[in-house]
Amino acid sequence: MTVKWSDLGLRLSGAVVIAVMVVGLVALVIPYDPADAVSYDALLKPPSAAHWLGTDGQGRDVLMRLVKGTEAFFLPGLMGGLIAVVLGGLAGAYTGYASGPLRSALVGLLQLVDTLPRLVFIILLCTIRNPSIPLIAVVAGLLFVPTVATVVRRKVEALGSEDYILAHIAHGFTPTRILLHHILWLQCWPLLVRQAAFVFGYVLFVETGLSYLGDYGVQEPDPSWGNMVAQVKDLAGAGAWPWLAPAVAIVVTIAAFLAFGNLVARKGEEALR
Amino acid sequence: MTAPLLSIEDLVIEFDTQQGRRRVVDGVSFSVAQGEVLGILGESGSGKTLSTLSILGLVPGRPGVVSGHIRAHTDAGEVDFLAELPSVVSGGTAERAYQKDDRRWQRIVHRTMRPYWGQFATAVFQNPKQSLDPLMTIGRQLDESVSLADPSLDRAAVRARSVDWLKRVQLYDPERVAASYAHELSGGMCQRAMIAVALAREPRLLIADEPTTGLDTTVRAEIVGLFKALLRDRRRAMLYISHDIREVLFLADRVIVMRHGKVLEETSADDLRHGRGRRHPYTASLLEAADLPAGEAA
Amino acid sequence: MSGAASFLALAGRRIAASLLLLVGASFLIYFTIRSAPGDAVDAITPMGTPPEIKEKLAAEFGLDQGVLGGYGVWLSRSATGDFGESLVFAPGQTVMEVAAPAFEKTLLLSSGALFATVVLSILLALLLGEPSARQQGLTGALYFITSAPGFVSAVVFSAAVNAGVQRFVEQAGHETPPWYPIPIYSDSIVPYFFAGFVLVMGDGLLMDTFNAVRAEILSVRGAQFIAAVRARGASVTPHLWLNLAIPIFSAFVSRLPVVLGGVVIVEYVFTLDGAGYLLLEASKQRDFPVVVGLSVLFTLAVIVVGLLSDVARSVIDQREVARDG
Repeated sequence: MTVKWSDLGLRLSGAVVIAVMVVGLVALVIPYDPADAVSYDALLKPPSAAHWLGTDGQGRDVLMRLVKGTEAFFLPGLMGGLIAVVLGGLAGAYTGYASGPLRSALVGLLQLVDTLPRLVFIILLCTIRNPSIPLIAVVAGLLFVPTVATVVRRKVEALGSEDYILAHIAHGFTPTRILLHHILWLQCWPLLVRQAAFVFGYVLFVETGLSYLGDYGVQEPDPSWGNMVAQVKDLAGAGAWPWLAPAVAIVVTIAAFLAFGNLVARKGEEALR
Repeated sequence: MTAPLLSIEDLVIEFDTQQGRRRVVDGVSFSVAQGEVLGILGESGSGKTLSTLSILGLVPGRPGVVSGHIRAHTDAGEVDFLAELPSVVSGGTAERAYQKDDRRWQRIVHRTMRPYWGQFATAVFQNPKQSLDPLMTIGRQLDESVSLADPSLDRAAVRARSVDWLKRVQLYDPERVAASYAHELSGGMCQRAMIAVALAREPRLLIADEPTTGLDTTVRAEIVGLFKALLRDRRRAMLYISHDIREVLFLADRVIVMRHGKVLEETSADDLRHGRGRRHPYTASLLEAADLPAGEAA
Repeated sequence: MSGAASFLALAGRRIAASLLLLVGASFLIYFTIRSAPGDAVDAITPMGTPPEIKEKLAAEFGLDQGVLGGYGVWLSRSATGDFGESLVFAPGQTVMEVAAPAFEKTLLLSSGALFATVVLSILLALLLGEPSARQQGLTGALYFITSAPGFVSAVVFSAAVNAGVQRFVEQAGHETPPWYPIPIYSDSIVPYFFAGFVLVMGDGLLMDTFNAVRAEILSVRGAQFIAAVRARGASVTPHLWLNLAIPIFSAFVSRLPVVLGGVVIVEYVFTLDGAGYLLLEASKQRDFPVVVGLSVLFTLAVIVVGLLSDVARSVIDQREVARDG
């Protein structure tokens, strides 16, 4: 039996992606008062019927906090991915097609942004302005624009001389329409999907990382997968579920999004060939 | 009569494609005598390249079926290259492991062919700039061939002989060429260097697979002339593959014509040149297309 | 142009481009500083800073002038390595005095981990090559494990090590190691190896490097000139490695910025006094000069690494020189 690993991977990662999306949406509407959830009768309980993933050091239900914790990264992640892909796609299309001083300036600016070490810059930003998570996500998305732009630019340059593009030009389509619709939308979508998934994963990483560190990001008592993992310092081996569950959730979600992005992109590229 | 240098018998090569198993070489047989030039004429897709590449075990990818005989008269005696390959490769009984593993097939082929590479035959391909290592000087690559042909030489002697070879392929300023890289030379110069590298190895057989493709027209004629000059002493045989009938007629002693994986005709070049004897209609059409006398139709 | 002269010209051009990059990137950093809402000085100093210190800071950062003028002031100081003095973290010491030794440690850790990753990727690529079905499952599992963000791997790893050491000490009655329990601070070098291991196995670094290295190996192996070398009975190995030197080196260098990002939180988890830990601590304590100084140093490191790789590449690959020369 030949196992088509890519299909299995696609189904698995797709399932996780959908699950995260659903949970993310649900979390937005579920009410949760972290102060209410504290219960000194039920400290550090292991998983049971009442608490599927047990309770943490303050008696709060772990699963509930896990669900609510998606709020911190879900919409920001989508936003960051969208920004990176839209701006990066447009920039890449422009720099791949145009020539002249404006293009050179844009290429230079993109190269500049690309040089900045991302996490370091984000920490600098946090030190100066203590920004909200959405703002951090926007910045993260912007920091990825050069990466997306480079990938798109290469594709546009490669396609520019293809026969059917020349045929489109001969048919009277304007360059803008060819660039935006035919190249960017029809041909580049696998690349953009892969990049968007990657940026989503990065925003998740940044949000949970900052929340883990404590000073920026989501502060207690609001739940974030990051600050839940941080409880490992306080618990010191007394209980694993409260910090291991969010840790696993982070790894599974990032892995799933990356894999899904890659596999969808690969399938798309094969179909386009 | 001495035994032929190389004798291919009933060679069959099939590839597994998405559309099923495709027979690319269909029962091809021919032989090359010592010191002879055999021209292989055919269009793209005729199987001429694959048949000859298989002599060197250089078929890319992994065929589904390879059968037949490739008998070579090497320094180590008579060898049948295909006999040394595991029988699993011959259709039907192929194991799953080999079906799934290009690398493993490659490794087996390489292990089989390694003793004969260079010593029995070397090759000159089309696209000369791609045939040379872009990061090594021409001289160093030539030295490689020379010292393999004669391991007793010291470095100075090797370099002297390399420069000598560059002169023989009509590259003027051979010292400068030896110090150059492939990207610094023109296509024609690269091909000359490549021919030097192949011949410096002193093989018994030189395989030239469309060596003039990709070169300018004037350069093409020069390269063909170079081959003629270099092989005049008949110390080595050559398999010259081309779709250009004029080149083949100029260089070859005998010619085989291939199409769709089969050998259609085998004749002496002399007969072809003078329109003697009965011709296969396909050969006749090739001759006509080149404004050459076609002779009688078969 | 002779080889040496065109090489120098290329190096000169690259250095100029790098300087331009440095200026531009540092301007972006400065612009971010100036973008703080409200009074800039208050934004960048901790509560309760005496006014004379605030004034000094304002002067050093050119906060009284316009953005461009202020940038000029700040740049002329920073270009000499003068990032001011640490306000909170190590009062009295200059930023450079604090940052330089920390940076050394971080660079060693990062390049060490990256080097190990590249070596591991090469080994994996040579072993796995074209993946079979069984190998795809294995690589899939590896993908999953190694895509974990550095700090998550670090946390899980340290928890596991702590638990293991605890059992080891309790049951067998051995001495507690100086670095136990993670993350207490110690002089030991062992946490550096832990951090290195986590860096290799996290942030998707290993599989990304593996993919890149494998693609390069396959592409060179399949090149026509390699077939030609083989066909004349010569050894493929020297040709293979010569042509792989640059791509593998590029794979190393292009990933250093990523590792420099990941090392920040990992250093924090293991309490290593490197530049990443310093950055986070200084940020917590609002020691602004240190944070800015380190940001510039990190950016400088990325640019210098890129420059060195460009130059080294053109030493090996003459085509590069010919293209631009």
